[in-house]
Amino acid sequence: MKKQRYVCLWLLVSSVVWGAAVAFAQKTQNAALAEPVVVSPADKAAIEAFEKQVKEYIELRNKVRANAPKLSKDSTPEQIQAYRTALELSLRNARPNAKRGEFFLPATADYIRRTLKTEFRGQERQELREKIFEMETKSVVMRVNDPYPHSAEFSEMPAVLLTKLPQLPKELRYRFVGRNMLLVDRESDVIIDFMPDALP
Amino acid sequence: MRKTHHFLFAILITAILFTPAPAQKQKQNGNSTAAPNSHATAPLKLTLPVKDGSVKFAVIGDSGSGTEQQRDVGDMMMKYHALFPYDFVLMMGDNLYGGEAPQDFEKKFTEPYKALLDQKVKFYATLGNHDQALQVNYENFNMNGKEYYRFKKGNIAFYSLNSNYMEKKQVQWLEDELGRETAEWKIMFFHHPPYSSAKKHGSDGQLREVVEPIFLKYGVDVVLTGHDHVYERMKPQKGIYYFVSGAGGKLRTGDIDARSDITEKSYDRDLHFMLFEVVGDQMYFQAISRTGETIDSGVIKRR
Repeated sequence: MKKQRYVCLWLLVSSVVWGAAVAFAQKTQNAALAEPVVVSPADKAAIEAFEKQVKEYIELRNKVRANAPKLSKDSTPEQIQAYRTALELSLRNARPNAKRGEFFLPATADYIRRTLKTEFRGQERQELREKIFEMETKSVVMRVNDPYPHSAEFSEMPAVLLTKLPQLPKELRYRFVGRNMLLVDRESDVIIDFMPDALP
Repeated sequence: MRKTHHFLFAILITAILFTPAPAQKQKQNGNSTAAPNSHATAPLKLTLPVKDGSVKFAVIGDSGSGTEQQRDVGDMMMKYHALFPYDFVLMMGDNLYGGEAPQDFEKKFTEPYKALLDQKVKFYATLGNHDQALQVNYENFNMNGKEYYRFKKGNIAFYSLNSNYMEKKQVQWLEDELGRETAEWKIMFFHHPPYSSAKKHGSDGQLREVVEPIFLKYGVDVVLTGHDHVYERMKPQKGIYYFVSGAGGKLRTGDIDARSDITEKSYDRDLHFMLFEVVGDQMYFQAISRTGETIDSGVIKRR
């Protein structure tokens, strides 16, 4: 009888401890999401350097875009295709020597990697990785100035993460392919830059 | 002995209290994505009131497969249009799978819904994870060149969001628009579901964390989504009605997690579409399978 009581008591204590651990883990996970990323002066400089590169790209893009056929909000599929093709070719020709790391400079890449690491911990990171790895992105060739294939799926960029990353103008998008993070031209889908193994 | 029973009972209760709710998202590889080939159709049966002056619309999600089954859904939508003359269709994203050349638009959109387009039924699209950004400029998707937009029909404001990329600017726009909204009904539609019991994708926690507080703050009534290739109507979540209507062209049979505690009604055996009718403070809905079977119906009363 005494032994039974000990067993019961042990089970009771275990279940309470286990429950508390689960509750704590969930709370910690939510807290991690809400946690602001610490931006040091060096990080600030890295973000500014990134924004400068982006600004220069947009200026170039606007010049190039002026040569592409006009696209209205009531376009036909043929007009959309003509615009996309012209823009893609013009952008690629305008940056013939573009190479990886021109936007994601080492300091910027370091800041983004730390942001990703802070944002995605434990279960959260696991789920994000699973989601991204499930995507149909096998056809994507990781090369600057190549187009993101039209048959490939786009990863949904986690909403909370987007509030923490350096903000982009409407012409550019972040995108994940496997563990890599890409910077892509929104309309032409040309890969502007990418960071290998960005996801922890 | 009785004390032992009390101990065991206490343990059981404690374990139940501390056990997290059944996972809303169960990661498993997708099941069959093929829809049944059966062409047998059920007799058409409308559960909506069909009142004069009401706002009538349809919903399709993840439709752009270009398959025979998608065309079946388009045909069935047209049959129901004869009984229930809806004016417009909301598209939940993944409007065109696997390429967007002109022939893709034809095969995956204009052909399957030709009869409806001929009847001047308007389509309003949202972007899914298979949709290129330039779809916003396509004349038949009525997105006015915008990734997120609002339009009003009668006493309803519809908000189409881009859930692929819920950046700060979009969140701010949503808050600003909802802050000055005067329409009685506020309906959101976008691709990724904040709540879903499907095993393939399931609830999108990150998205929910950002949009749900806004929906609650401004009294959003209904949220329509896709992405999971099933039909699901959630139990109201914090007073908001959530639907997943993601099998207008692709199906993932057996994907609903039967253990989910957020499902009110679900269906994952065939493709489907939905019909809605808003009469004053009442919103009637009917979900219909590819073969015409009514798989869910009911009425939502505005808060």
